[in-house]
Amino acid sequence: MNALKNYDDFNHIGTGAFGTVYKARDKKNEGRFVALKKVRVAITDDGVPLSVLREISLLKQLETFHHRNIVQLYDICHGKRGENDLVIFLVLEHVDQDLGSFLEKCPAPGLDPDLIRSIIHQMLTGIDFLHSNRIVHRDLKPQNVLITDKHVIKLADFGLARIYEYQMALTPVVVTLWYRAPEVLLQSAYASAVDLWSCGCIMAELFTRKPLFPGGSENAQLGKILEVIGAPARESWPEDVAMSWEHFSLYGKGEDLSKLIPEADAAALNLIGNLVEFDPTKRVTAEAALAHAYFENYVPDNDS
Amino acid sequence: MTQPEIRFKMPNWYYDKKALRKTPSFLDGISNSKEMRYRREGVRLIVKVGAKLGLKYETTASGTVYFHRFYMFHSFKQFPRFITSCCCLLLAGKVEETPKKCKQIIATAQEFLTDRQFQQFGDDPREEVMTLERILLKTIKFDLQVQHPYQFILKYAKGILGDRDKIGKMVQMAWTFINDSFQTTLCLQWEPEIIAIAAIYLASKLGQFEISDWQGRTPSQRRWWEAFASEVSNDLLEDICHQILDLYQTTHPEQPQDSPAEEEVSPGTPKRHRPASPPPQPKLKLEKKEEIHAIAQDKKLQAPPMPPMVSTINSVAPPLPKEPPQFFAPPPSEPPLIPSHQGFQSMPPLPPIPPQPNAIPNQPGIAAAQYPHPPPPLHPGLNTQGPPVHARPVGSNSSVSSAYPPHGYFMQVPPPQDFTASSHQFYQSGTGVHHMGTSPHQVRQMPQPAGGPIRDHYRTSSQSHHPYMRGQSAYMMPPQRR
Ligand SMILES: Nc1ncnc2c1ncn2[C@@H]1O[C@H](COP(=O)(O)OP(=O)(O)O)[C@@H](O)[C@H]1O
Ligand SMILES: [Mg+2]
Repeated sequence: MNALKNYDDFNHIGTGAFGTVYKARDKKNEGRFVALKKVRVAITDDGVPLSVLREISLLKQLETFHHRNIVQLYDICHGKRGENDLVIFLVLEHVDQDLGSFLEKCPAPGLDPDLIRSIIHQMLTGIDFLHSNRIVHRDLKPQNVLITDKHVIKLADFGLARIYEYQMALTPVVVTLWYRAPEVLLQSAYASAVDLWSCGCIMAELFTRKPLFPGGSENAQLGKILEVIGAPARESWPEDVAMSWEHFSLYGKGEDLSKLIPEADAAALNLIGNLVEFDPTKRVTAEAALAHAYFENYVPDNDS
Repeated sequence: MTQPEIRFKMPNWYYDKKALRKTPSFLDGISNSKEMRYRREGVRLIVKVGAKLGLKYETTASGTVYFHRFYMFHSFKQFPRFITSCCCLLLAGKVEETPKKCKQIIATAQEFLTDRQFQQFGDDPREEVMTLERILLKTIKFDLQVQHPYQFILKYAKGILGDRDKIGKMVQMAWTFINDSFQTTLCLQWEPEIIAIAAIYLASKLGQFEISDWQGRTPSQRRWWEAFASEVSNDLLEDICHQILDLYQTTHPEQPQDSPAEEEVSPGTPKRHRPASPPPQPKLKLEKKEEIHAIAQDKKLQAPPMPPMVSTINSVAPPLPKEPPQFFAPPPSEPPLIPSHQGFQSMPPLPPIPPQPNAIPNQPGIAAAQYPHPPPPLHPGLNTQGPPVHARPVGSNSSVSSAYPPHGYFMQVPPPQDFTASSHQFYQSGTGVHHMGTSPHQVRQMPQPAGGPIRDHYRTSSQSHHPYMRGQSAYMMPPQRR
């Protein structure tokens, strides 16, 4: 039996740290294209691990909402079964490209400000949806945000974090730290606010087409952040971390975002500032961000 | 402007009565009544092992739902039921984050099975269950989060106004009906919300508690459940109630509830072409059983010959350790009832319900007298408002959309009271993902999102093909045994 028999024309489209993604044609459903994400799951003494079962069933449940800004999960297929593992294929809606390659290909003057507003609005809508369903993405970055040729944003690659913990990286792909919130870098307890941080980083990048915090290592990443946003207030320093506030208190007031992101207007800068707030408890939530002045005259285009 | 999106059809886990008769087991030569017995036995084993291992009632209930779904794709001849029972419980335990060791589940199951029955498990029981797990996951398409009627019973009872004591008793009784309903295929027919309404309906009738006032009652609402689901007809509820009550009629403690030894299918060598033999029941019973899937059109609610509070669990195969009197735990606590408020005094008085001559005794042993007739509807003449239950699709091509309630069936569900902020932060707990439950988003997003359980049902019903009937459906995997 081959669960993948319904698909053909396989084409490799991406290799992340944990899985391989193929583009394929769905022979049944009018020949539409799908993305097949191969995930290898370790089998324990008691069968398929609990974490995997919960994550996958959660993804399935999310799917019932058909949210416009979440990549659709069409199906789950079983691949080969080894002695100690099980290969699963997530059959996903195929989306033209990810935001990373979209930005790379973007010609000189950069993105239209209205398009940026639309992208950020859609990202926040998707994030708000995930958070309302108690899912933290944890790895938002341009490569995990897909964009259709009609500029519809679809968040991808969420919910599998726990599965990944089981198998650890298969490929030596370096996981980028540029979009990681300070509390993640500090290994403090973290919550849904981490996704808003990442969204702020991406928003800045949409304007400048350069990463906002291009750190080289975990420590350098935190330094990079504090250079820009300035030293955190003592009371904002998390209590549950090994590193003490004093180490970082020497950073100055930070930089002026309007100089770093000259393309952005005042409202956009204010929203970015609210998103890349050091203190996760003070960081804006997705719902509040959607009500920000930046979107004041924005009419979501639900047809595109 | 744009092309309509191609929507993936989520597996639909609801079947019409025709599909429930033409199951893989039936096509494999197992009679409907025998299949129903196999289902009951499989479910009982799940329930007993679950109770013995101290699993939550939701966990056990999820296991039984997996079990019922599994056998909509596979035959009991191909997959011996008790292995499946163990496997479903193993899976449900993991999904609910109360995992039990596979070995422990098997050992506990063995306590409840005869040696002959346990032979199903072969030389390496653990390997049997492990192998089945993957087939089970594949068959149920990773649809592991299942909602059960329990939560809805508590929710609906909260909104019912009246004597708290009586409401508490009614909830208890409804709870027991839900426990027992898992032995039927109701979870393959109706959403948990509707089953919950039916259980309360039945408990209210049998317990002589008339539900005449409820929170947020509007003048247009004549029946309490209209506050939660409009257009649910009395006929539909009665059909569900009868399927539950039939359980008490088909179960006789002195009857062997498990298959005679020679019927056991040994693993690896399924007796595929064995002709269906009549189940070892007297003819009367047989007819009775066949009616489980027949439409209870003319029947009136009858009191069960055994009091409903008596659990049928006592009637299962030996050896029987001491059993709790119920399948699952009773409600964790009496549901917190909303104090009755005075807002509806201007309502026209409802016609009184005539006193019921025969109450259902609460203790076992007291023979229940026949419950003579269904109580008159609260408002005579309104019965026909909803779609009659016998309008359910019978033929695979019959168009039934008109007989079905429109979308938005459950739109009137009031948001939970304890929810206020929608954008609060939450922390990843050590053990993992959180229940979906009633999430803030769902509340904000009322009406129910597309493709949610409720709309899913109607959408596919009106298409009138069920996944099972879709011959070469992707989720109709050929059974695999090593
Ligand atoms: N549904 C999809 N449609 C098109 N491309 C996709 C899709 N999903 C993923 N990709 C591509 O594959 C890459 C890796 O996929 P992803 O799900 O992020 O896996 P990983 O966990 O390995 O990062 C993405 O960055 C994207 O370029
Ligand atoms: Mg990725």
